[in-house]
Amino acid sequence: MARKISFLILSVAILVTGITGFKKLGYWDRSVRIFSFSSDVPFEGRGGRGQGDRGFEGREGRHGPGMRDPNIPDSLRQQFGPGNGERMGRDPSEGGVGTGEGRERGEFRGGKKINFRNVQWFLAVFAAFTVIVIYLDKGHILIFKKKSAVKESDNYLEADNCQERDN
Amino acid sequence: MNIYKFFLSLALTIVMLLLMDPGSFYGLAFHEWAGLIIGLFFILHKILNWGWIKKVTVGFFGKCPGRARLNYILDVLLLAGIILMILSGIAIARTIDFSWLSLGGSRMFWRVMHTSSSFITLALFGIHLGLHWNWVLKRLHLKMAKNGKEN
Repeated sequence: MARKISFLILSVAILVTGITGFKKLGYWDRSVRIFSFSSDVPFEGRGGRGQGDRGFEGREGRHGPGMRDPNIPDSLRQQFGPGNGERMGRDPSEGGVGTGEGRERGEFRGGKKINFRNVQWFLAVFAAFTVIVIYLDKGHILIFKKKSAVKESDNYLEADNCQERDN
Repeated sequence: MNIYKFFLSLALTIVMLLLMDPGSFYGLAFHEWAGLIIGLFFILHKILNWGWIKKVTVGFFGKCPGRARLNYILDVLLLAGIILMILSGIAIARTIDFSWLSLGGSRMFWRVMHTSSSFITLALFGIHLGLHWNWVLKRLHLKMAKNGKEN
């Protein structure tokens, strides 16, 4: 029982961290951005400053104040930018990667090669998806246990063949 | 064989997470090379599970269980996601010269594609792991220990 409760608490913690990461990273917006991408946006290609979607401002290869690419994380922006991330302002639509929350001055200076700050949020989101599916799967098995047991006995051989990877 | 599959999957997960932020681990050069290599490892992962793929492909419209079908559809989506990720990564690569491929389209389009496909693919990876959690537990021998206790 204690083990189950500790797993439940761990799962809730993973879920809460995952949801926080999801918000911080602007996960949804950045996931579906491709579906709302319009080739008619003035900035497209190398046209310079655009007037349309703020997210498409900027110009490839140039990163300076006001010239922002929404798909470049801060860590890279700081690495390749002309100065550092602090000078460039923040785009709220980028969530955690762009909000600047928690980012300290001087990060990625002095040739720092490893920075897991964003990776830990991605890990949190990834783990949250996993936990959600594990519990959905458990719930599904609990609800349809009897039905599936009958079905599996009927199609035992076929099921065994197809589920070889799971065994 | 299963232990190889397990460590390959673990390596794929770790590298995928490191690749999510290009600046997190040794910069863009690592990101681009590792992104290409992860594609090869993904192919290896598919080869190691080729028997299952073959059986479900043949029995997909037959008497294959729903769970196997769900896994199959998810795997197809993952494959599509990884192909899009690598293709868009090639189109926007800076440290490796892929200009000879002339993929067409604007860089901004490929960049948005790269971000979106990688975010969606990571979510699919999480779902994939969730659906195979029992398999993972078995590899970690937790399942066996649990069964032993219950018996």
